[in-house]
Amino acid sequence: MRVLLVEDEVRLADNLAAALRDGPGFAVDWAEDGQVGDDCACNRCYDLIILDLMLPKLDGLSVLKRLRGRHDVTPVLILTAKDGADSIVQLLNAGADDYLAKPFDLGELIARAKALIRRGKGAAHPTLSVGSLEVNTLEQTVRRAGVLVELSPTEYHILEYLMHRPRVIVSKRELLEHLYDYNWEHHSNVIEAHVSNLRKKLDGTLPEPAPVIETMRGRGYRLALEITGEPLL
Amino acid sequence: MKLPLHPRSIAFRLIVAVLAVELASALVVVFLSYGYERHSHFRSFDVMLHGRVDSILGAVQDADDPEKNVMLVQADLHFPPDDIYEVYDAKGRLLGRSPNWQGASPNLPASDHGHHLQLDVNGRSYRLLRFQGSRTIDVAEPGGGKLRQFTILYGAPTEHVWEAILGSVEFYAAGSLLLLLVTGPLIAWLLHRGLLPLRQLASLASQVSVDSWQFSPPASAHLTPELAPLTLAIESVLQRLEQSFTQQKTFVSDAAHELKTAVAVIKSTLQLLGMKRRTIAEYQAGLERCLADSLRLEEIVVKMLTLAREENAAAAAGPRPASDLTECLDSAVAQLETFAALRGVKVEVAIAFSDVSLVPLPPEDCSLLFSNLILNALQHSPAETLVEIRLAQKGGHAELRIQDHGDGIDPAALPHVFDRFYRGDPARSRNTGGTGLGLAICKAIAEKAGGAIEIASQPDPDLPGQGTTVTVRLPLAREAEASQPQPVLPSA
Repeated sequence: MRVLLVEDEVRLADNLAAALRDGPGFAVDWAEDGQVGDDCACNRCYDLIILDLMLPKLDGLSVLKRLRGRHDVTPVLILTAKDGADSIVQLLNAGADDYLAKPFDLGELIARAKALIRRGKGAAHPTLSVGSLEVNTLEQTVRRAGVLVELSPTEYHILEYLMHRPRVIVSKRELLEHLYDYNWEHHSNVIEAHVSNLRKKLDGTLPEPAPVIETMRGRGYRLALEITGEPLL
Repeated sequence: MKLPLHPRSIAFRLIVAVLAVELASALVVVFLSYGYERHSHFRSFDVMLHGRVDSILGAVQDADDPEKNVMLVQADLHFPPDDIYEVYDAKGRLLGRSPNWQGASPNLPASDHGHHLQLDVNGRSYRLLRFQGSRTIDVAEPGGGKLRQFTILYGAPTEHVWEAILGSVEFYAAGSLLLLLVTGPLIAWLLHRGLLPLRQLASLASQVSVDSWQFSPPASAHLTPELAPLTLAIESVLQRLEQSFTQQKTFVSDAAHELKTAVAVIKSTLQLLGMKRRTIAEYQAGLERCLADSLRLEEIVVKMLTLAREENAAAAAGPRPASDLTECLDSAVAQLETFAALRGVKVEVAIAFSDVSLVPLPPEDCSLLFSNLILNALQHSPAETLVEIRLAQKGGHAELRIQDHGDGIDPAALPHVFDRFYRGDPARSRNTGGTGLGLAICKAIAEKAGGAIEIASQPDPDLPGQGTTVTVRLPLAREAEASQPQPVLPSA
């Protein structure tokens, strides 16, 4: 998952980015002011935007309004040092999904970030299951038919992303955009290698495996499992 | 309608004053009417007495006796029954007298004023006219008749006259009293109506509170000469109060934001360290970051307190502080020498003051002002550039110019550089660790001394190094005033 962090206080931004990378393993892009933040958000490759309110050049509220003005539905978590119900009501009414008052708890921020991403993908519970496949997004563990599958972080992130979009063709480009931040070089063959490994690991646990991930030539990947039941909602 | 009749109210005092004036006028009217009525009634009374006397004179006739005497023919006289009269001839012989009177004493004194006199007859007060007249009797006789002298006394009771006078006076008094009773409430009502704009103004003013500064007086309040100054005063006071309230609110909100952010940085650094097991080197780096962040927090707090102190500095009692500009500048430059050398920036100082130049500032504030500005210039100077400092006298002011050759300030940011917590460029603040308070403090200090500070910058991407010029103008303290706290004792 890729997160845009718009925060002008460099030390705080460093810490938040480190926590989001180390903890849930998100790709994090950092924008130092509202203008840059707005420009980044235009790429529409983020699963969450964490937005500080008091920003140089363009304040957080304006960034939020522009974002929603473009019909961008990316979840937005506001960081605010302002007190008062008025500003919170104003923020939520302007299209914010959640807010955290500074100084906040890093654990709470991560939990809220995960919840917002989950909600943004239409899932309410941290455990995602499609067919015989079960992904626990809290522990970052994957089970196929009850058997634990060991995955590398990148493989896990690819699978988690696909799990959120069952039976939808996801392009390599989309995977790249959502799994790597701005600073990485984008090579689609990296994705190919990871998907190949992921497929092997998932299918290796079963004696007669049905392929989990289909490759749609030239178009991308698709989670091919039959949806036996609705994902836990 | 409720009339405000508090003893100290303006309406009450005005009503009492008007009623007192009315009462005094009523008394004067009563007194004057008494005098006038008395005069006019007695005047007609006297005319009446004269008429009666003339009638009596007409009733004197020849008695047809050998002594050629005269007599009073009383049958011709028809006077009110209460009137009295007497007629004497020149020899003092009584010719006739009204039946209801025993006569005046022979030595009846002549009254002082003309021939009128007062007399009590049968317990009633009479006014008498003594008339000494002459008449020619028997004009038909041969020889043309004879001129005879008479003395006539005629009196009439005065009680009716007095009744008439008092009646008139009573009428005036009652009228005045009635007027007083009617006008009292009328004035109260009129005053109540007349003071309505004042009450409206008061009620509007009373609605102003910390949360609602709305004060919109009716247009009439500005047009009423009595209310206009009050309205203007209220408006300007409210405006200033609101301004300072807003300033305070903004300051508190800004300060809260800065402090909360600083705390958030420290907290997140610590929590990040605790997220997983780390190497000793990582822990050490984390602790160093925490310490640096704490120092920054400390710096923010110190600067905020400095700013609050400078902005709220009232005119302190005691001797006015004074500091020597040249000394302060020298110490500020010396203090920052190492920093300048570290950044590879050259500092050039030119002081065009020949004598001692004192400004009305405590030396520590003056040094703080200079070191803040020079530090600012150094921070924005690339290596191998020059910071020029010029101190000169312009009239009664000292003018300090500090020019750097950095990138200059974005025109959009220029108006805000003196705002609290404003950081024109976040990248710059990252490098320099600024709090956004330095220039705000400088402005507060300069303004405290009665001076001014301005900043000019015209960044040109094609022509870098134009830099920024900060100009501070400080009024010079007069020598006598500044040096007086040390009295010179005469040598023994």
